Amino acid sequence: MAAERNATWARRLLGLDRRVIFLLVALATALPLLLPVNLPITASPRVRAAYEAVDALPRGSYVLMSLDYEPDIMAEVQPMAIAMFRQCFRKGLKPVVLTLYPAGPGLVESALRIASTAEGAVRNKDFVFLGYKSGSQAVILGMGDGLRQLFPQDYWGTPLDQIPMMKGIQGYSQFPLVVNLSGSSIADYYIRIAATRYHRPLVLGCTAVMATDYYPYLSSGQLRGLIGGMKGAAEYESLAGLFGDARRGMDAQSLVHVIVVIFVVLGNLALFATGGLKRNPLDSGGTT
Amino acid sequence: MGDGLDIRWFDPARANLLIGVAVFLAFLVVNIVRARGGSHLFIRPLAGLQALDEAIGRATEMGRSVLYLPGLGDMSEVGTLASITIMARVARRTADMGCDLSVPCYDPVVMAILDGAVRQAYIEAGRGDQFRPGSVHYVSAQQFAYVAAVSGMMLRERPAANIFMGSFYAEALFLAETGNQTGAIQIAGCDQVTQLPFFVCACDYVLLGEELYAASAYLGREPIQLATIAAQDWAKALAAALVVASLIASVLGHPELGMLLRTR
Amino acid sequence: MRSGPYVVTFLTGAVLIAIFFIPHYRAQQVQATILEWADVVYAFALILGSISLWTTHQKRIKTRAPGWIFSYVTLGALLFITTAGVVQGIDEGTMVGRLYNMVNAPLASTMFALLAFFIASAAFRAFRARNTEATLLLVTAVVMMIGRVSIGEFLWKGFPPLTEWLLDVPNLAAKRGVAIGVGLGAISTALKIILGIDRSYLGRS
Repeated sequence: MAAERNATWARRLLGLDRRVIFLLVALATALPLLLPVNLPITASPRVRAAYEAVDALPRGSYVLMSLDYEPDIMAEVQPMAIAMFRQCFRKGLKPVVLTLYPAGPGLVESALRIASTAEGAVRNKDFVFLGYKSGSQAVILGMGDGLRQLFPQDYWGTPLDQIPMMKGIQGYSQFPLVVNLSGSSIADYYIRIAATRYHRPLVLGCTAVMATDYYPYLSSGQLRGLIGGMKGAAEYESLAGLFGDARRGMDAQSLVHVIVVIFVVLGNLALFATGGLKRNPLDSGGTT
Repeated sequence: MGDGLDIRWFDPARANLLIGVAVFLAFLVVNIVRARGGSHLFIRPLAGLQALDEAIGRATEMGRSVLYLPGLGDMSEVGTLASITIMARVARRTADMGCDLSVPCYDPVVMAILDGAVRQAYIEAGRGDQFRPGSVHYVSAQQFAYVAAVSGMMLRERPAANIFMGSFYAEALFLAETGNQTGAIQIAGCDQVTQLPFFVCACDYVLLGEELYAASAYLGREPIQLATIAAQDWAKALAAALVVASLIASVLGHPELGMLLRTR
Repeated sequence: MRSGPYVVTFLTGAVLIAIFFIPHYRAQQVQATILEWADVVYAFALILGSISLWTTHQKRIKTRAPGWIFSYVTLGALLFITTAGVVQGIDEGTMVGRLYNMVNAPLASTMFALLAFFIASAAFRAFRARNTEATLLLVTAVVMMIGRVSIGEFLWKGFPPLTEWLLDVPNLAAKRGVAIGVGLGAISTALKIILGIDRSYLGRS
């Protein structure tokens, strides 16, 4: 009798409408954002290396920052940009910023505005935003020595010759560090061209799903540091002593992961109760 | 280095890569000679490709269409080139069986090339009159606009088979899950390692990484095509041997071999 | 004339391979120029794409295909954005810029956020302990899901180093294996195209 009741319960669970799962995921995302818990964060060696690559630069150094993403992945990458800008401004470093995505300028401007307001940095004195340029690979290649030809003026139309901070800046050789925050193969181009051909130290920030693809470049020395996804951004914020969107988002991500794990465990228990593990339709698949 | 400009005609740091390319070319030439000489070159069966005929046959029986997605890569990506080759074979089969084919594209250049390849496949099958202009069509170069449009097609038109071949990114799980909901038979091939788990979860058959590139040789069975696969296997064996050798050398206190293999 | 496309493909491929080994600035300029040509070709192909989009939706309206009414929205949006872009440009503050930031950006973000729901439902269906390998995968996935977020560290200090080890050792070993295979496969496919062994991209078998 009890076994029959268990089997009925298990069948009900297996037939669960996926919209119930969706609803729980939505709640698990929304609640921690409204009521943050501030769970602990420990920086991984990869993120620490990225932080230290910026931190080790002498005051007044220029950092070329290419922010190549659009709003779809801004939740993961934008907090990295804000934390890095704030770190640069605090250290007296001078970020020269560009984007290779047409929808990028709005996001870059927003990140620069937040960071410069918080740290009291001044446009074209403490940082320059060069704007958007099409032709990703060609631009990355062209910046070898032709940055001024590619970007004769900044995003707001001021000629580079009239910006004292840009005096003598021609290409990669003037930048002791290149940073690429990206959600696409543009990261590969920076590794191939800026890091490998022009031997510039490169730090990469990318989405969580991309991050493990770039681990080999850390051990080969082509990357100095790697920040992966919202977790990486939260670690970076923690190292920089900031409490930004990434650390807030990690609470939500934690709860969603717990919900997914609970469903995976319940699904397996239900299958076990119904004997379904032996006749799972996925078993009959091909090479999957 | 002159006035800051590089004036070298060869980068010695890349000598190892040049040697690698030369060795690979040598492997290729040797295997082409072997293939022309009538040597039997074995290629293991790929379940995903064997299932293509079954999927197209099922779509024909059900009177529904086959949806072919060439991925989000452009023509500079090898995954896209491999996808075009597979597409040509799929089109040939749909032409033979009289099955409807729909190919929504993300990249306009890829669309133009696929349109030519599909048209040619129908002509070669002797069914040029059945080629439906517009079956290869452009959707959007915006990733999620493309996802929304293709998901809509899957849910409205309910194709019996969804074939994903090429370079896919964050849209992989969206598309494969939506296709899974419609009950279509799903075959995927992707060279983006990070997206493979999503396809494995939601598709019936998956070509993993390089299997996508091997598909054209497998489908064509032409000796020269098979020779390229054999050359690839030789190169892979050499790479594995070099990795093991450099590992042993490093353990024994001689990291020089590993350093020679470094890319700069 | 039939060999024309092969000659162009071979020469372009050979030149680009050679440039990879030539750091001379003039060679790099040639590469930059070729990449610019690719952009120009892409821009022209976008015209083809727009024509294709127009024809497809026109046909949907004509045949009253399911959801045909939305094809009017697509065609209207295509016309409107193109006109606004040509008249005003696409910079920040223009109509296209504003529409991009206020309509397209939130829509794209929303679509991407939906991935969380798809992952949850796919995980519920796919992670099943049906044999030893699948059980191993399931346990690893659970450790990763818990260990990679803050709550994992809160529950047990050993989670972060354990997940780091999983990522750095078994994961990276498998990835490198696949990456070497993909790399060699890519070289092989590229050579097949450059040497004219594979001609399907020209619509020929």
